[in-house]
Amino acid sequence: MTTLRIAGGRLIDPTHGIDEVRDVWIADGRIAAPPDDPGARADRTIDARGYVVMPGGVDVHCHIAGSKVNAARMLRPEDKRGRETPRRNGLRSGTGGSVPTTFTTGYQYAGLGYTMAVDAAIAPLGARHAHHELRDTPVVDRAMLVLMGNNHAVMDRIRAGERNRLRDHVAWLLGATRGYGVKVVNPGGIETWKQGQGKLSALDDRVPHFEVTPRQILVELARAIDELALPHPIHLHGLNLGLPGNWTTTLELMRALDGHRAHLAHIQFHSYGGSPADTRAFDSQVPALAEYVNTHDGLTVDVGQVLFGDTTSMTADGAVGQYLHQLTGRKWISHDVELETGCGVVPIAYEDTNFVHALQWAIGLEWYLRVDDPWKVALSTDHPNGGSFLAYPQIVALLMDRGLRNDTLKRLPERVRARSGLGEIAREYSLSEIAIITRAAPARMLGLEHKGHLGAGADGDVTIYAPDDDKQRMFSLPRYLIKAGTVVLDDGDLRPSPAGQTRFVTPGFDPEIVPQIETWFARDSSIQFANFPVGEDDL
Amino acid sequence: MSTPEENAPEVVKEPAGRSSVADAVCPACGCLCDDLTVVVEGGRIVDAPGACPLGRQWYLADHSHAGLPAASLAGQPAELGAALDRAAEVLATARSPVVLGLTRTTSESVAAALAVAELVGAAVEPATGEDARSALLAVQRVGRVSATLGEVKNRADLVVFWGVDPIVAHPRHWERYSVEPRGRFVPRGRAGRTVVVVDAERTATADRADLFVKVPASSRLEALAALRALVRGTALDADRVARATSTEPGTLEALAQRLQTASYGAWFVGPAAGGPGEAEAALCLVRELNAGRRFVILSLGAPGNAAGAEAVLTWQAGYPTSVSLAHGFPRYLPGETSAEGLLARGEADAALIVGEWSPESLGPSARARLEQVPRIVIGPRATAPGTSAAVALDAATYGIDAAGTVMRCDGVVLPLRPVLKATAATDSELLRALEARLNVLAEARRS
Repeated sequence: MTTLRIAGGRLIDPTHGIDEVRDVWIADGRIAAPPDDPGARADRTIDARGYVVMPGGVDVHCHIAGSKVNAARMLRPEDKRGRETPRRNGLRSGTGGSVPTTFTTGYQYAGLGYTMAVDAAIAPLGARHAHHELRDTPVVDRAMLVLMGNNHAVMDRIRAGERNRLRDHVAWLLGATRGYGVKVVNPGGIETWKQGQGKLSALDDRVPHFEVTPRQILVELARAIDELALPHPIHLHGLNLGLPGNWTTTLELMRALDGHRAHLAHIQFHSYGGSPADTRAFDSQVPALAEYVNTHDGLTVDVGQVLFGDTTSMTADGAVGQYLHQLTGRKWISHDVELETGCGVVPIAYEDTNFVHALQWAIGLEWYLRVDDPWKVALSTDHPNGGSFLAYPQIVALLMDRGLRNDTLKRLPERVRARSGLGEIAREYSLSEIAIITRAAPARMLGLEHKGHLGAGADGDVTIYAPDDDKQRMFSLPRYLIKAGTVVLDDGDLRPSPAGQTRFVTPGFDPEIVPQIETWFARDSSIQFANFPVGEDDL
Repeated sequence: MSTPEENAPEVVKEPAGRSSVADAVCPACGCLCDDLTVVVEGGRIVDAPGACPLGRQWYLADHSHAGLPAASLAGQPAELGAALDRAAEVLATARSPVVLGLTRTTSESVAAALAVAELVGAAVEPATGEDARSALLAVQRVGRVSATLGEVKNRADLVVFWGVDPIVAHPRHWERYSVEPRGRFVPRGRAGRTVVVVDAERTATADRADLFVKVPASSRLEALAALRALVRGTALDADRVARATSTEPGTLEALAQRLQTASYGAWFVGPAAGGPGEAEAALCLVRELNAGRRFVILSLGAPGNAAGAEAVLTWQAGYPTSVSLAHGFPRYLPGETSAEGLLARGEADAALIVGEWSPESLGPSARARLEQVPRIVIGPRATAPGTSAAVALDAATYGIDAAGTVMRCDGVVLPLRPVLKATAATDSELLRALEARLNVLAEARRS
């Protein structure tokens, strides 16, 4: 048995209500109870006196693998120049920028103290490709959420009122794609756009041809997911992303999901006042939406914080890609995937001199600060949409320091202060609350029982930070990262490290539905049904 | 209740020692049809019912390793271990090695080759040709509005074949993906689609199309520019358009009109998209056609796994082709870091060639240089008599006796179902053995 002792650090483990100096023991890759013998020695001891010890970070929503991410890498050589990482110490080389290569992605997450990342939008037909990229993403454990909100078979089952068949289809599809959870993007709206029928903007609009509504898709999928008792609830990117006035749809959508568990992704992009007809009225509507989250259990959010700088937007919502291309005039990749989804990739620069961008920045921060219970919020940039995951420490610093927020606010366009109440919010996050939104809460949202905490039996994933008044520096440069008991980041130095695992679920289903699925698939897909399921070799 | 089944190859035992594999993927052209049945008898492929002529030729070719040495050094049979040692020595001592081929093997082997390339600081370039590489540059400038082939099958009511003849070069494209299939929104199949062929001469595809538009190859760029202007509603003088594009007056105006009456158009080009200028013009035209209707552009696809090679390079090294690892990290300066350029300038001094490969993707001076440098060839029947490689390693053939995955040109990844029992190592295995030796050499140099 290999043992590791992290001795004398300030352990912050919010799941167990711990913030005190305490040893952490790891045996054979898992957190273990300290031995009864106070003189017991471990195979290795890390002297963590004066350091802060937390569980490994967990990212509930990012885009790091698969066809859209790789399309973005291919599209943007200019995003990588001068941001290459050389081969060293047995670590593979790669390129950085807003869309890093797979090896670099794994190393960068490890360097940030993270041990799990979830790609939030994989098309069923793209699952095998995405798994191949995740297989090449080292150190971190990873998982993918499978897109189902514009799935032809899903909409067919809903229209026919076949709830059991729908539930079986969801289960079959998750198993066949080795997915971890269900993602819904602009339910029915992508299909409508793919038909060239414009956009759906209200929950009760009808999807042409399929004759179902976004509300039905949402609610029926949420129900199926709850019935299957999947570890992660429905993971939702709603309607009207990025459009002025979209907050009313967001509130309606939250209400529609009453009685179900749900996770609302990159909520920042869905919290805008004003109207498409009058973009000048654009303002923050976080107070009303956060109030709803504060008063309703079962709803969680990640923020999708916008940070100033150049990045790459990527979304399964093909219509948004087209909108951004028209708005910015920049190069645009659109790639529709049969039977399910679209995909839009457009470079974007968020500028602090631009009123809209600056307000988006403020709206994101409002979300972290206006949701009272940090267990309901996960830190995210919707990487790389609002900015790179490498910017997480910058967000941490802004949340912990009101002065820093106000200094930034001061240099933003004046209208921002009138349209967002950010400047009046006095709240500052504690270290324990930061630990919640960066690891404990996302792990709980994902239903990962062995992540996000350091109780006995948990994965031996531990991050050790050197305390620093400069919180951005503190969280950018952890001193140690232990992954499954292996010291990956050793006194600031990244070591050749374990590969990490891909997590997936294989819920049971009625095998009698398979012939029906096969008939549909054979008619409408461009590949053979037998060649669709992802195999063990692909992981 | 059950859990999903593994997608194990379905091997159907038939009488008289015959067996067959269903749902096999054929890499003979860019279609990557994955619905083939391959029949094996006495350790040989004897039939591939349903395959097109290209597919039959592929499956019925001699894939046997019988009588071939596992390895050879300068054409002489050699021990595999000694050959791997020699290959490692050649690559480790080269100042500017290049890695070529890669398009006729699995994505897993491309990844294995990239690990070797990184160790020796090589320039890596899949064998797709100069024009195809330039077409990638066009995408990097303007983007691309595209879709998977199933989208075309289900939605397209207008199909344009631009300077390509799929009936000859991609024989089953028409029946499987683009024209004949009945789709969800095209229930009548062929009858529900208008097919337009634009080419210099009447082709086999043009003979089956609804509309043939004659445009000389040398005028295609001008024709694309004129179509784009017409689609934008710019008033053009019909006679000047006709003169500039060497077309009959009114032809392009009618075509522009037809493009705009589609509800979902699919525009197909060849793997090289006619070179950089034409590629970019077509990408822009199709993008603009999306104002008011849906329109997508797709390649018919290069044979084999060119798309997979580019994808693996992109996710591991950041760029789809012409990646130099000479500085220890990926660099992409097309022309400067292309294997083609390194060879043509006489800088490349060794080559690792992976998978079945022909030098035709290289220009004459690059090809001449390649003949002068030591070459390590890892591929099916690489040790066949007559090889001039410094080191040749016989490898199993992807989809025949080697497993793995390949990517279709629309990004869909397909699992191969080998039909014959392997009697040679796979190129992935050989590349990993080479990587291990290179690591030992590097370790020895350090100590």
